[in-house]
Amino acid sequence: MLVVAFFILWIGGIGVRLVHLQINQHEVLRDKALDQRRDQIKSRQLRGTIYDRTERALAMSVKVKSLYADPREIEDADAAAKIIGKALKSKPNEIAKALKEGKETGKKFVWLARKLDENAADRINEELEDRSLRKYDLPRYAGLYWREEQKRSYPYQNLAASVIGFSNADDIGSAGIEQAQEEVLHGAVIKGWQDRDRLGRVYDESDTEEREPPKDVVLTLNHSIQYKADLALEQGVKNSNAKSGMAIVLDPKTGEILAMSNYPTFDPNRYTEFATENYSNRTIHDIYSPGSVFKLVTYSSAINENIINPDNQVASASSFIEVAGHRFTDHHSRSNMTYHDAMAVSSNVTAIKTALGVGKEKFHDYIKRFGFGKPVGVELPAETGGIVRSPKVWQGDSLASMSIGYEIGVSALQMATAFATIANDGERVQPHVIKEIRHADGKIFSATEPQKTRVVTAETARGLRKMLREVVLKGTGKRAQLNGYTSAGKTGTAWKFNPKTKRVDASKYISSFIGMAPADDPKVVIAVVMDEPKSGARDGGQVSAPVFREIAEGILPEMSVIPDANIKFDQLTAQEIPAEIETSILPENERIFSLEALESEETDAVENNVDQKEQKVSQKEKPNAEIREAPKEKKKEEKTEIKKEPKKEPNREKPPEPDKKSAKPKANAVGQEKTKSDQKNKSSGEKTKQKT
Amino acid sequence: MRKRNSPQTKSNQNIKREHDSIPWRYLLMTLVCGLFLIVGFFFAARQHFYSIDYGIKNSRLRKQIDELEAEKRRLILQKEIALSPGEIKKAAKKIGLTAMTASNIEAFRSAADAPVKPKTEKISIDKTPEKPSDAKDAIMAANKPAEKIAKAEKIVKPEKKTTDAKDKTQAKSAK
Repeated sequence: MLVVAFFILWIGGIGVRLVHLQINQHEVLRDKALDQRRDQIKSRQLRGTIYDRTERALAMSVKVKSLYADPREIEDADAAAKIIGKALKSKPNEIAKALKEGKETGKKFVWLARKLDENAADRINEELEDRSLRKYDLPRYAGLYWREEQKRSYPYQNLAASVIGFSNADDIGSAGIEQAQEEVLHGAVIKGWQDRDRLGRVYDESDTEEREPPKDVVLTLNHSIQYKADLALEQGVKNSNAKSGMAIVLDPKTGEILAMSNYPTFDPNRYTEFATENYSNRTIHDIYSPGSVFKLVTYSSAINENIINPDNQVASASSFIEVAGHRFTDHHSRSNMTYHDAMAVSSNVTAIKTALGVGKEKFHDYIKRFGFGKPVGVELPAETGGIVRSPKVWQGDSLASMSIGYEIGVSALQMATAFATIANDGERVQPHVIKEIRHADGKIFSATEPQKTRVVTAETARGLRKMLREVVLKGTGKRAQLNGYTSAGKTGTAWKFNPKTKRVDASKYISSFIGMAPADDPKVVIAVVMDEPKSGARDGGQVSAPVFREIAEGILPEMSVIPDANIKFDQLTAQEIPAEIETSILPENERIFSLEALESEETDAVENNVDQKEQKVSQKEKPNAEIREAPKEKKKEEKTEIKKEPKKEPNREKPPEPDKKSAKPKANAVGQEKTKSDQKNKSSGEKTKQKT
Repeated sequence: MRKRNSPQTKSNQNIKREHDSIPWRYLLMTLVCGLFLIVGFFFAARQHFYSIDYGIKNSRLRKQIDELEAEKRRLILQKEIALSPGEIKKAAKKIGLTAMTASNIEAFRSAADAPVKPKTEKISIDKTPEKPSDAKDAIMAANKPAEKIAKAEKIVKPEKKTTDAKDKTQAKSAK
């Protein structure tokens, strides 16, 4: 009986203990067991890839490894630091200091090396192997662990850098598409767990939550076109010694931006080494006075309203016009001039007269229709809308100033879009840089469908294209003539406002050329804008038109556009075309150039407190002073030089020019440009005395 | 013990005594169950260790997949770097290719439009760039017509000799 009783008690005791452990101590023991065998893991999904339209990866993330230490597990920090320093090729003192500090403060985590590639990690694993240690994970060294991270790489380096942008060390988009599409591209952090055996081997693992993988973004850019645009722009900026330059290549029919270049630019792989100004996408961030390229809007409105017929002669063409006490003059007005000619030679007076005929309200309406005064809506951050004031606050001469591209602030993309509208028979297609967003498995998440609006009639657009063609054939844009293709476009040269002196600086220009090719059925619109060209000629026809030509000649064959003009196999040089400089006249009232003044005016206007007297600032230069003109003696010398050189065939699609214009050796021509610029610099003090 | 009232005359030879077979059955049952239990334990243990083993292998394979995917991405990145326009331009220059221009396109078109000539046909040379026969020649011809002409002249010269020789033989036979 005693034995049985003892046995029952024993069994009962065990039962009670089991009940206690299984029921009362269940949670504690379970956690303890899990803690022994289970690790919590966090991993971030790889950031989405950015592709160009040809499926080339412009930005992609790869897995890299970062080494960290748990200082609590390291007994001798100095000894460990020596070995680690040798493996990492870094200073042992710094490592020892970090480990000691970590140990003292009870830190579990101290970074030793970040974002190392696979080869470097393998090498470190070999060098840090401690055979006496029983550790399953690499590196086999007490207290050292790898953590997987990701590194954003931009294989094309500075190609379209200002469009793509970059993501910072924490993989957060900080500029361009990377910033604008952060939500789409961002890889979520996934939490999971791993069960390990006593040797540390993982035998079971799972994710605690399912997250949708990041999506990929496909851009409308073409890496090859972008490369050519970048190259041509860089060369153009260097040649003209400009402060900066921008170029846009746009498909007028689809609104797709094929290239968007800025120079100077940066390499997003090492963005910290570049000035922050270089990060800016000036084509959408910068506002400038467009100058004569804005005459496109002026003539568009007039033709569309049947106020003028481009083939008709300009009524009473004169060399000046006075509007609200402001005298506008130019050298290009002449008798028996058609509107085609007026556009070709960029006659200010004709443009002003045309705008006056259109009227304030209608002109403003057309400006708005073309998309000025509000952001274009391209999928990039911080796009400017430009500056367009309400007609209510316009002054007497505002309409005249705006008709020639002043008293208005635009971005290069807005201007390119206006030209694309004309190239697309008057229908404005919203420019966009994202073609589609798709899932990681390739299924399309969203595709961009651009908004289309009719701005002017197709007939008007065709008429304007003819006018723009004249500019290239016999006007200020001769240097935009292409080998094998017809082209059309408009030059623009505008003075910059100096915020320090609060007046226009006659030595600082914005020189632009916006054109399209082929002229009859444009496949591309290319806008080139140079900021403050300093060397040689500084007008749009001489600075920006050659860049246009370089880009267009490079990309049109690649786009399989069939040549529609004569092809010459000889090497063509811009210098073969006679320099026909767009004569620039200083305005009487410099106020029209001030964008800052415009902004302040707008504010003032709202408050109905416009003080016009304060806005007018005196200028040193006399009104109507010609900015640049080569001395006649030098021109004679050039002519004699030309005669000595062997004659070449005129090799452009333009009508045959006189012999002296057709052929000129490159070296001499460059020299000629240099001498001209030298003379210009020398005569800069005298230029204000020269009157036309 | 109770006395049985069995007749004395009746033989008890045919009477079968009841056997107490229950302990043996229980024993056997216990043995079988025990065996099943033991086998079951072994089986479960084996399964457990197999599952752990498979888990470890699975984990290794998963890690391998991750590594291979990472490697694939790295290779794609390397490929993209190698295929960047700058690198391609360098490589193209090395093998003597030149940039695509409108003149090249025209050369391609003319090459495509040109009828295929028999090999025996004589090559006529003038000062205009000849129609190239293939794409590479088209580019070269478009950009270096002089070189192409010189090359063609070299090819033609021996043919001229042969024609001269033929003429001579014809003249001799005529004599």
